[in-house]
Amino acid sequence: MNIEFNEDQIDALKEFMNVSIGAATANLANLLGAFATMHIPRIDICDSDKLIPKVNATIDLTSMYYVTKQLFTGKFGGECMFVMSEGSAQNLGKHLYDIENCTDDDVNDAVIELTNILTSTIVSRLTQELDTGVQFFVPSSQFVDAHSIININDVTHYSKIIIISTILEFKDQQINSSIYILTKDEAIESLKMLIDKKIEEIYG
Amino acid sequence: MKILIVDDSKLARMGVVKSLKEVEPNAELFHAENGLEAVEIFRQENPRVVFLDLTMPVMDGFEALKQIIAIDKDAQVIVISADIQDEAKQRVLLAGAKNMYPKPINEEKMLQIFQQDLLI
Repeated sequence: MNIEFNEDQIDALKEFMNVSIGAATANLANLLGAFATMHIPRIDICDSDKLIPKVNATIDLTSMYYVTKQLFTGKFGGECMFVMSEGSAQNLGKHLYDIENCTDDDVNDAVIELTNILTSTIVSRLTQELDTGVQFFVPSSQFVDAHSIININDVTHYSKIIIISTILEFKDQQINSSIYILTKDEAIESLKMLIDKKIEEIYG
Repeated sequence: MKILIVDDSKLARMGVVKSLKEVEPNAELFHAENGLEAVEIFRQENPRVVFLDLTMPVMDGFEALKQIIAIDKDAQVIVISADIQDEAKQRVLLAGAKNMYPKPINEEKMLQIFQQDLLI
């Protein structure tokens, strides 16, 4: 199975992701009544044992994190993982509920609400761009230390993983989070076919 | 007519090129991959129309728009972006863009741009 991506495929995937993140960001900006700075998505294709160091390189290892994971299946199947530090989550709770001292339940609810909007919009829009569809599984949510964000047992049976990641940044509200879409061997081949079809349509 | 297409994604630039084929088939097209390149090409070529993305490396579209309008306050800049926040649109319109459209662009939208937004 050829799971390497060429330059045009990476460019196209980044652009589809950019459009998807844009739609999700606009939904969140409406919810929060705030303006978000958009960042260019990163695409990394790595061996599964490199996933943890790659995620750890982007976070503060001393912080605790709210982590929500949601599986989706279809021609392009995978897992959407949303990571937000405890500090950002508290700022989100304060901003959403307009109160100074949020309870843990308030913060957790706020993170889940945000994640639901983000995950569903990003993945739905991404698959819409690729002319396909997905089914979502019920998300799981955890509050964990930085070293427990990814369970190595969940990824060791895959050889390659595509990490599509971006940062969601509401500067004025001091809310930052990272979004990762992880997709594995069997999904990569069909993802490449979907991308090639779109490239052919546009390049003619 | 000279048209400058600014986007860090080749696919996005090709999408604009494709949508221009029917609407403005004889246009002379210039491509830039970031805001800094866009400002340099704008200064050299003085294109009639600029299609500008916002989220780009090196220099983003907000800054590029500001610099292009500083060079020519009548520059006809259309922003085509994945950033569809209301505030982003307000900012670019305030900075002098003629209009802003969400990605991806197609022939129908391009025709609308030429009929409604641009003085050609």
